[in-house]
Amino acid sequence: MNKSVAIIVLFLLFAVQLFVPAQMIYEQEDTLYSGTAYKFKTQPIDPSDPFRGKYIVLNYEMDSFETNDESWNGYFGTLFIYLETDAKGFASVKTISKTQLDSSDDYFITKTHYNYNGKVEFELPFNRFYMNEYKAYDAEISVRKAQADRTKTCYGLVYLKEGTGVLENVYIDDKPILEFVEEYQQEKDSIQ
Amino acid sequence: MNSKLERQLDELMEADIINSDTSQKILAFYRMKEQSKPNSILTIFRVLGALLTGLGITLIIAHNWDDMPRNIKTSMAFLPLVIGQVALAYSFLKKKSSAWVEASATFLILSVGATISMVGQIYNIPGNLSDFLFIWIAITAPLIYITRSKLAVLIHLVFSTWYACRLGYSYKGEIPWWYLVQLIWVVPYYINLLKKQPGSNIVGVLNWLIPLSPLLVLGTFTKGDSLVFLMYIALFGSFYNIGQIPFFKNQKLRRNGYTIIGSLGSIFLLTILTFEWFWKEPIHNGYHGTDLVITAVLFLAGIAVLGYLHLKKHLKDFNLFQYAFLIMGLLYLTKYFGSTYGLVLTNILVATLGLFAVRIGINKNSFGILNYGILIITALIVCRFFDTNLDFIFRGILFISLGAGFFVANYFLLKKQGKNSINVTSNTESHE
Repeated sequence: MNKSVAIIVLFLLFAVQLFVPAQMIYEQEDTLYSGTAYKFKTQPIDPSDPFRGKYIVLNYEMDSFETNDESWNGYFGTLFIYLETDAKGFASVKTISKTQLDSSDDYFITKTHYNYNGKVEFELPFNRFYMNEYKAYDAEISVRKAQADRTKTCYGLVYLKEGTGVLENVYIDDKPILEFVEEYQQEKDSIQ
Repeated sequence: MNSKLERQLDELMEADIINSDTSQKILAFYRMKEQSKPNSILTIFRVLGALLTGLGITLIIAHNWDDMPRNIKTSMAFLPLVIGQVALAYSFLKKKSSAWVEASATFLILSVGATISMVGQIYNIPGNLSDFLFIWIAITAPLIYITRSKLAVLIHLVFSTWYACRLGYSYKGEIPWWYLVQLIWVVPYYINLLKKQPGSNIVGVLNWLIPLSPLLVLGTFTKGDSLVFLMYIALFGSFYNIGQIPFFKNQKLRRNGYTIIGSLGSIFLLTILTFEWFWKEPIHNGYHGTDLVITAVLFLAGIAVLGYLHLKKHLKDFNLFQYAFLIMGLLYLTKYFGSTYGLVLTNILVATLGLFAVRIGINKNSFGILNYGILIITALIVCRFFDTNLDFIFRGILFISLGAGFFVANYFLLKKQGKNSINVTSNTESHE
């Protein structure tokens, strides 16, 4: 490759390399700034990613939609999920569609997981919450213990805008999970 | 190295094989060659430094500094990327040595990953490891051609293989079609290296890595029906024939990954196909479309390489290993007429390949190839013991005969080598 062409291409590549993370940040920030917040009931478990570190996977309660429409049988593909808020303030599915609807309701896009007996199952895409390596495992344990008495509710606060969902934080009874875990760790240390 | 060379030259001078003038000339030639060679140790250390620093940054980021406010973390995310870009721009614009370019390109590749990781972590961006690797590979791939960095190619190949395996072998695996683009992307670079630096270390490494990567990934393209055996046999056949192109064939065998992988893989699979269960398995009414297409493409690729070798007149000596994949393809069709033909003929094919390897070993005076051939025959006989009801005395005699075969074949080769060396000595003496 000619040297001057190579330099131009190199700088173009630098621009692309800067643009990709910048675009990711813009999309997330825009959704957090002007999107609508929804609470999704969940339960966390703790795995690890070699590059991005420890995270908790959120097993959302919302994972299926019942329908009598037979056209869903055997359908595996893109799924648009339109939301509403239930009486307790948590997100619930209003309707699902294979294509984008002309609706003002907030939605997110995912893929069908399994369809059986009029039940379309799916996975919510915003199910990873990255945590400090010393806190992820304790997050799973502390939340499981807290949920055992069925009085505490764990939920993910997700901002939605034009199909993009950003998981802002995870809460246990309105307390951010980080604070909850730190309190649990202090309690654990004091017992030891 | 010089002292060793000097010692050897002194020895040759003492034996009156060369005179002091020739000795000086040889020494001067190697010194010149040594000086013009790039400092490989320096390159290795710089690249290792860049690799370790880049990986260290990634690990520090993976810790997740949750006390830091989001805006500071977001700005920090760009830090490794910008440092990597500045370092590469500096080494590129200032025309620094290849060690510099290698190190800064390696660091930049790792820092791109670190930056995307951090952004993904800050905003909990959904997506699994294969999505992440895909973006990473896509925005670093052009560096291979811009910087001509050798490590960039190796990282690209390793990451592409990792991406394809993660995507294809995972639960609900998808076919990693983009892997094909990622693999083809390095081909022009590889061909260029083959032409310009055929003896270099990087070519030796790529001669192994380029066949190994598709070998690992091929399983992600299949739905797992019985065509999968044919698919791999065609792949190994193609590799073996690529390895027979004089460019690769004339290199040391250890630098010819195509031949070794192709030969070992073919023998391994063919030996599996000598068992009865494969031939008794019922034929499906229809195969998966992708499996059929990929098997056909691989067979055509093998035939194309054979055609090329024929056109260039490199097929003078008949070598059964080169045609084994085609014969197996035809034998597979005999499944339609019952299990016996295919079963018997595959056993004969493997035994003949073993004998062929013995013959190549004797012709080339190579104990390695000779014993490889005997091992193929032994493996075949051992396998037959699993599905035949031969009595112990017969099996015992067969094993003793095989053992004796090993000794006899090696003895004859040793004798032949002895004769050859006597001939060479007597020829040298007669010239003197």
